[in-house]
Parts: sequence; C-alpha cells; structure tokens
Amino acid sequence: MNKSRRDFLSLCLKGGMSAAALTSLQLQALSGSIQARSFSNYKALVCVYLYGGNDSMNMLVPLSGEPRAWYEASRQNLAVQGATVLNPTSEFEGGVGLHPALNALQPHFEQQSLAFVGGVGTLITPTSLTQYKAKSVPLPQHLFSHNDQQATWMHGQEKQTLNTGWGARLLERLDQGTVFGSNITIDGANPWQTGTNTSAFALSKSGISKINALSGYEPRVEHVRRVMQTLFSEAAHPLAAAYASRLNGSIDHTLHMNSLLEQAPTLTTEFGESSLSAQLAAVAKTISIQSQLGAKRQIFFVSMGGFDTHDNQESTHPALLEGLAQSMVEFQSAMAELNLTEQVTTFTMSDFGRTLTSNGDGTDHGWAGNQLVLGGAVNGGDVHGAMMAQRLDGSEDVGGGRLIPAFSNEQYFAPLARWFGLADSELTELFPNLSHFDAQALSLFKS
Amino acid sequence: MNVHLGLVAFCLTTLVACGGGSSDSGGATDNNSSNTTANANNGQQPSGGTDSPSDDNSGGAVDPSGDLGEGGGDSEPQNAPPEVEVSIDQPEVVKGAPLTLSAHVADPQDTSFSYLWKQLTGPPVELGDVTGPTLTVTLPETYQAQADNYQFSVTVTDAQGAETTTGIEIYASNAMSDIQAAMLLHQGTMGPTLEEVNAATGMSEEQWLADQMALPATYHSPLLENYPERDAPYQINRIDAWWKATLHADDQLRQRVAFALSEIFVVSDANNALKGEPEGMLAYYDLLLEHAFGNYRSLLEAVTLSPVMGTYLSHLGNEKADPERNIRPDENYAREVMQLFTIGLEVLNQDGTVKLDEGNQPIATYSQQEITGFARVFTGWTFAFSARWNRPSRNFSLPMQAFPEYHSALEKTLLNGVVIPAGVGPEESMQMALDNLFNHPNVGPFISKQLIQRLITSNPSAQYVERVAEVFNDNGNGVRGDLSAVVRAIYLDDEARRYGSVLTYQGKIKEPLLKGVQMWRTLNAHSEEGNYFTWNLDDRYGQGPMLSPSVFNFFRPDHQPAELSAQGLFAPELQIANDAAMIGTLNQQYSDLIWRMAERHTTLNPSAIYLYGHSDITLLESNGLSALLNRYNVLYFAGNMSESTRNALIELDEYFSNKSAADRVGQLLFMVSLSPEFNVQY
Repeated sequence: MNKSRRDFLSLCLKGGMSAAALTSLQLQALSGSIQARSFSNYKALVCVYLYGGNDSMNMLVPLSGEPRAWYEASRQNLAVQGATVLNPTSEFEGGVGLHPALNALQPHFEQQSLAFVGGVGTLITPTSLTQYKAKSVPLPQHLFSHNDQQATWMHGQEKQTLNTGWGARLLERLDQGTVFGSNITIDGANPWQTGTNTSAFALSKSGISKINALSGYEPRVEHVRRVMQTLFSEAAHPLAAAYASRLNGSIDHTLHMNSLLEQAPTLTTEFGESSLSAQLAAVAKTISIQSQLGAKRQIFFVSMGGFDTHDNQESTHPALLEGLAQSMVEFQSAMAELNLTEQVTTFTMSDFGRTLTSNGDGTDHGWAGNQLVLGGAVNGGDVHGAMMAQRLDGSEDVGGGRLIPAFSNEQYFAPLARWFGLADSELTELFPNLSHFDAQALSLFKS
Repeated sequence: MNVHLGLVAFCLTTLVACGGGSSDSGGATDNNSSNTTANANNGQQPSGGTDSPSDDNSGGAVDPSGDLGEGGGDSEPQNAPPEVEVSIDQPEVVKGAPLTLSAHVADPQDTSFSYLWKQLTGPPVELGDVTGPTLTVTLPETYQAQADNYQFSVTVTDAQGAETTTGIEIYASNAMSDIQAAMLLHQGTMGPTLEEVNAATGMSEEQWLADQMALPATYHSPLLENYPERDAPYQINRIDAWWKATLHADDQLRQRVAFALSEIFVVSDANNALKGEPEGMLAYYDLLLEHAFGNYRSLLEAVTLSPVMGTYLSHLGNEKADPERNIRPDENYAREVMQLFTIGLEVLNQDGTVKLDEGNQPIATYSQQEITGFARVFTGWTFAFSARWNRPSRNFSLPMQAFPEYHSALEKTLLNGVVIPAGVGPEESMQMALDNLFNHPNVGPFISKQLIQRLITSNPSAQYVERVAEVFNDNGNGVRGDLSAVVRAIYLDDEARRYGSVLTYQGKIKEPLLKGVQMWRTLNAHSEEGNYFTWNLDDRYGQGPMLSPSVFNFFRPDHQPAELSAQGLFAPELQIANDAAMIGTLNQQYSDLIWRMAERHTTLNPSAIYLYGHSDITLLESNGLSALLNRYNVLYFAGNMSESTRNALIELDEYFSNKSAADRVGQLLFMVSLSPEFNVQY
C-alpha cells in the first residue's frame, strides 16, 4: 500500500466514519478483499463512442458494378469518391473502398490489427422487411431516437426496469465490478459503464486533477478532510446522501488515482489536440500504470461528438472521420510503446447508421451501420458481418434508406466479451437477445 | 403587501337580500372590510308596521339603497334595528396573527345591545368570548400558500329585540418567515442574496410571485459588450452578458424560469458554428425570457422560427423533396420538436405517468409517418430578409421567413390523424402544425413535469404533476398554455411549499452552475473592469448556459443514479456529477471562496473576479460564529442546516480560529458549498 493511501485510510479511521460512508476503494483496502475470479493476464476494452449516429455506411463503400451503381443512386452528392481500395480476407461483390478520410487506419488494416464489422444495429430477433412492416416480430423500442438508441447500444439490451450497461455487467460477471480502476471513463458517466453495483471512475482528460482544498499543509488538510467526512456521512435526505457518497468517493478515488498517475512514465507517442486524442492520451496514461493500479480487467469509455450530420455533411463528416482515425492511430502507437497491443482492444459504438438518402446537405437517423475494432488480438484485415447493399427500396430498406441490420449489435458485443474473459455459456446471460442469433457469427479475434 | 384583492360581497344565509353595504366605497385596497348587513325585526316589532317599504316581503325589511337607518316609515316612530359595521384592527391580515374585530353600533333608540359573533367560513378558529362588542381571535398558522378566506358575522340585538347581522370577509395572507422566503427564493431565483431574502420575508408567496412577474424583463442582448477594441462579439461576450443579467437583474424569477426553459428548448454553441453567432444566441435566450410568463404556444412558435434553433436543428434552409436526387426533407427538427419540446415519445396520462395499452405496453406518440409529415412542414424557411433562398441574410436574431417555392406542397400527416392537405403554404402549414402539437394532450403533463423538475423537485408526485397540468390545460379562464399560471401553480403547490405531508425526498440536487451563481450573487462577485469572462465553464461546473453537448441537455429528466435505484428515485443533476466534474466544481468553489475572497488580498488585479465577504466578516467579528451560522442557515440552507452540519462547521472553524475573519469566512463558505445539505434545493 502506498503512502497516500495508507495516510488516507488512517485518516478516515481517525475520523470515525461509519462503514456505510466508506467508498468501494476504502472497503476494498480495509478488508484486503481480492476478487473471486483472478486473472493472470491483463486486458482492456476501450469503447470509442461516436455520438449522434455515425454515417458509418460511408466508411466502407462499394467500388464497382451494381453495388456501386446502387450506392451512387442512393447517396448522390454524398457518395464518397476516391475511396481507398481495401483487400479484406472476405470477398464482397463490388469490392470494398475505405473512406479516404480514414486512410490513416489503412496500415492497421493491412497489418491485420484493424477489422470492420458491417451491417450491425439494434435488433431483438432476426427481422425481415416483411416482418418489420407487419410488425410481426418485436422491434427495438424507439428506433431512430438518439438517446434511446444510445442507451440500447450501451445497455446491450432493451430497456428494463433497472437498466445496466453491458460493460458494467461484463465486469460484474467477471467479479471485477468492485475492483477500483477496472471501470474508467474519460467522458463522464454513461449507461455502458453503469451497473447494479458498479459505476465508472471519471477521470479528467487532463489526467491528474489536483484537489486544491486537500493540498498543502498537512494538519490543515487532515482537519478539512475530517470535517468533510463528517458532513458526508451524516446526510439524511436521500438525494443529499447520494450526492455525498458521490463526492466522498470522488475525492477518495481522485487522490488515489493522482498518486499513481504521478508515477506514470512519459510516453513518447504524441497525441493531437482534439478532444478524442486527449481522452485517449488519458486512457494510455492510465493503462501505463495498470500494474500499480492492480486491475486485471479494465474497460474505458471515450467519446467523440458531432456525428449527427443533418447538414453540411459533405464537409463535416470527412473531418470527423479523419479526427477519429488520427486519434485511434495515436492510441495504437501508444499501446505499441507500452507493449500492450495484444491486450488492449478498441472498438466503436454509435447511436445508429444514417439514411442513405440525403436531405439536401446531410442525412437523417437510420439504423444499421458499420463499426471499427482495433488491436493486436483482433482478427484484422477483414470486414466481418455484411457489406450491406446501399440500395434504396432494397430488401432491407424500411424507408429513405434506413437499413434493417444484418447482424444484431449483441452479436457484435459477444466476441468482445468472450475475448475479455467471459465463457460462451455466460454470453446469453449478459445479452438476453443473443439466443435469437448465432453468437459465434462474428470471429473478431484471432484465436 | 397582501394580495387580495377586491371586495366580495356575500349574502348571509338568513338574509332575504344582501344589504347594499356601507363598505362599497371602501376602496379596493382595503381588502378586509366587506361588511354586509341585514336586519330583521324578529317579530318583536310593532305588528302594525304597514309602512314597511316592502311589505310584500314577509321576511323583513330591506332597503335596497343600503340606507338602513332610514328604512323606517315617515310617520310613527318605531324601533329600528341597530346599524352595525364591523372593523378590523389591522389593514392587512396575516395568518397566525391575533386579530380583533369590533362591532360599531349606531342606534338612536337604544344604548344597550347584545352581541353574538359567529364564524361562517374558513379554517376553524377558536372564537373565545363571542358575546362582546369585540372579538379577538388568532387565525391558524399557514397550511397552504394561498390566502385563507374567512367570513365572520356579528348579530347585534337591541333592547327591544331588533337585530342586525353584519358580516365581514377576511383574507389572511401568508407572511413568509425568513426561512420560508429563503426556500421560495432558492426555487425562484438564480440563487438568493440576503437582501432578497430579507425583502421577501413577511410577504406572501403569492405577492412575491406577482411582484416578480410584474417586473420588466431584463434582456441579455443589451448587455452584450465587445472586448475593448474589437468590433464584433465572441462567445465569451455572450456568456459575460448572461452573468451580468443573472447576477444583477431584479426579475430573478423570470431569469430562473428562462434558464429552466433553456434546458428544455435546448440550443448550444458548444462545438458548432453557432459559436460565431453570440448575438443570435442572446436573441434566442431573450425569446425564452420574453415568453417565460407568456403562452406556451407563442413560445413554441418563437423557438421554432428562431434562426438559431433553425441552425441548431437544421430546419433552416431545409428544402422540399427532390425525388430525382433522392433528396427528402431534413427530419431533425420534426423529430426533436416532438420528442423534446412538446409531447415526448410515449402517450402520457395527465399526471405524467405513461399510459399503457391492453398488453401493458407504452403507446408511441408518433411514427415515421408523422416525422415525414412534420419534416415537410419545416421546409422553405430561411433567414429573415434574405434576398433570395440562395442568398441568405444570415440574420441570426429575427424570426425566419418562408420561401414558398422551397416549401413542400405535398400533404403532411400530423398527430392524431390530422392531415394538412396538399398545396398549403409554409406559414399556414406551420400554424397548423404548431396548433396540432400544442393541442396534443401530452403537452400539459410533459412540459409541466419538466418545469417542476427544473424548478422544484426531481420526483414530483403524480398528483402534483396533474395539478399543474390541469392549469396548463386551462388557466381557469379557458386559456391553454398560460405559462404565468403554470409557473404560479408550480410554486404555490403544497408540494413545492412543503405544506401537508412532506415527501422525504422532496427537492432536487442543485445544478452545479447555480451553486456557483448563488455564491457569486451573495458575495457580489465582480472585477474592477466589470466583466465576467468565464472560460471553461464545462470544466468548472460540468455545464454552462447554452453550452449543452446536445439537444438532450446536460442531463435527462429520467436519470436515475445507481445510489438511488433501490429507492426508485430520479436525480437528473447527478448525471453530470461524475468524479472529474465534482472535483472541478470543488476546485472552482475553493478558488472562489478562499483564493479570491477580496478581503484576503491587499491589492486586486483589475481584470480578475473577486468575491466580497465583508458583510459576513463584519458579522463574524461583531456577533460571533453562531450569528454567522444562523445567517447561513437561512441564506444557504433555507433552514435545513442540521445540528451535525452546524457542529461540523464549528469544528472546522476551531482550526482556523487564530486566522483572520476573512480566512475563517472563506473556509466556512467553502465547506458550506460542498455540504450535502447545501447541495439540495429543498
């Protein structure tokens, strides 16, 4: 146990705090409790959430033949020209072109550490156009609505009485939920990381956030902290108590995290100035102290906004993709520097895909889309799933070029969870609708 | 000041008719003097009273002119009943106060009378001796925000048995205690100052609201100042204007309601092109201020036609379909105006709960068909005074104008099966569509509940929501959407005022920004140069005015933090209470209250903002810690500082007892700012 933590614990014991006011970190340290399921190796999942609904059908475009003709017809002025030719392991009619704004990622595709997952979206059960129109199968609630579809992606299930995120459930399932440092967000609270007894530690993207009130002359700091503890432990109003327990935990966790981050090595990888780069830099820094932190399984959440391209898509979307690619490449290079490429997998989620049709200078809320998975363990160099035909009034088009997903997002999450350590038998417990699909359909990892 | 308001003559049940009353000229300002009088001869009069002016009226004599004393005939003297007026010993009656009513009798024929006082209506009052010429009662304490209405009567009988019964109607208003005033002002201002709490103390809630609503609006646009030597404003300048109004405007209720509206009708210039349009952003905020006590239908129209909203949700410049190019109208505004600004996703009961179908499933309020219909409505609109569609003026302040040739002429399916026929133009389509939205039964509960959550409590009872929704649906005069009535109903409700049984979870977590605002208001934060350039509000508070990351606001009304899931409670504001943000706010409060307490410095940087604690410092120096904590209990805790919090603050101060009073005040305020009880708005 390092000094600040020991000091801190002695401080809260001196303060005579009630056990109920202790944070998970304190309880864990006090009891010396170690998680039931221990892992010898280290793994991390990094979720890059693309807020607003990425027009991800435009990340991968057909190059020739009928698929290209359909594509040009549906996308019109938003059809991507000059796409970079990819040669995925799987063959697709019309070929696969990469949006040139993503070119920075192409080497990772070539080196087989980057894979795409095509044609995924929220589904309860396999759904055909006829079934959709007849409403003869259950459909995800509130399709095309931002916050509802964000929640469905992050929950990995339809709305429940008590909603939990699949990231948090994954940790809890692996008995890592109470391990401090297993669950970290650089972008505030989000449904993906919120579980029954688990919530993410929110790290500032600048990394260390010094607590000025608790810095400086030690007797003063001790006194101030003790008074805080008293205040936090005696809140009676339920909302006040929730606030108090949050703030108490935040202070505790931040002090602890700061003490470790101060020892973090300086990485030579340079990160850009975008928000996503800064967030991923903070993830890289946190991963660099993973052995000191002690969590063997970590999930991270970072995000990028602006994907709700209802207008000016022609100029904004390429810029977004370029920023995304740049940040992901930087992060991958930091992982290489830490020699952790095999242990860290980065993947994307987004609200939904977008309409194939244009509204003049943008697109509207759609359904199926494509996703990215990056990491040394990834079965890269391929497009898993489907290269869906970007064809208006085709067999998957529910109107305006909103495509019914060919694969459910739970099929996409399953291999991520399995790689992270979940047994096949546990997958359907994590993803309740997975039993309606082939859980093995997407082989996103090498082994 | 009392509110009520006018004389309401009433008829005593035993009367044959109302007396004209001696008080009819009593003046509308004197609200508690409505005497009504009736008299009767009660059979003891000489039976030959044939000269009675209304002898066909067997019940007694009434003089419609009210000249009761002269009501007798012109010949034989007879015993006339006494003339009686009732007076009150105070011009304005407040609840819980002792009150003396006096009967003033004029009767030329008698000198001795018997009296009998009665209470006719109103909350039960202990009457005591009811047989004297005066009646002294103590009215009950407050149990509701509205004024209590009482009617008392006195029957005066002269020696010959002629009697007169005179009534008086009394409105007893609340006189808010300092704690009640602080509670109301925490809900109804951007964060009350001591002066504001003191001024409201003794007023009734109704009067405070009425006074606030009567104040002229403080708009933000006129407060916009460029940087020196710059000829155009920046985003920071519009944030500066927001601070100036927020900190200094008198119309605090309007500022607070507009702030709430800015978190429902969300626009944002965080990370988008609107960052370059600070004047437009302020014009948008001003329309929220303008309509805060207006009609919701007008607000909805102003929001919809705002070029800032048009830019944010991309219906500005939205064109009719071009089937050749597979182009269809932009659906963004169509979707969000329904999901967020009017009706929500699911059909609601009037109490805000979700209505379920036979299969116990929620019922969707709209489908893609209605989205498509509304998307067509919102075509053909661009900046006002644009020369041509393709030469937009880029005027971000005036309402958008329509170009009919770019408006969809197709038929448009609206809610509840309403269809705008083909060929209807942009303005008319817009009116029909907004009427259609406005009249959907979801609007009342949907908007009322969110306003309650922004202003009063995160977990309103269904009954509270329903009471407010009823007012939204009809303000009592048949008007739907009257926001002044809605706002009054929200603030005056028993649940908001904590009358009756108080829910243990009543109230809400204060928005982090508003916590900062209150400290800045109470401590008169300012820089010598007079500007409030507050960059990085997001890092400091996790939020800022018109800086939401998306149209879904910083937090959702149904956010349920894990800590409260077992109790089934919501706490929207805790959605942004993540570790990084909480530490950010903690550091901001530390910086404000410790480092930038002006009295701790000998020289001040003219461009830096300082907080001024001299009033607290003086109180601490002259009256001691206990007096200061008493002040804080009212000002910051609205009376909810617990004994343990008080003791914790005393314990804190012990450590700093040999420091300057400015240091001690700063440390105390910092601890107040993070204390759980301060962080709840009760």
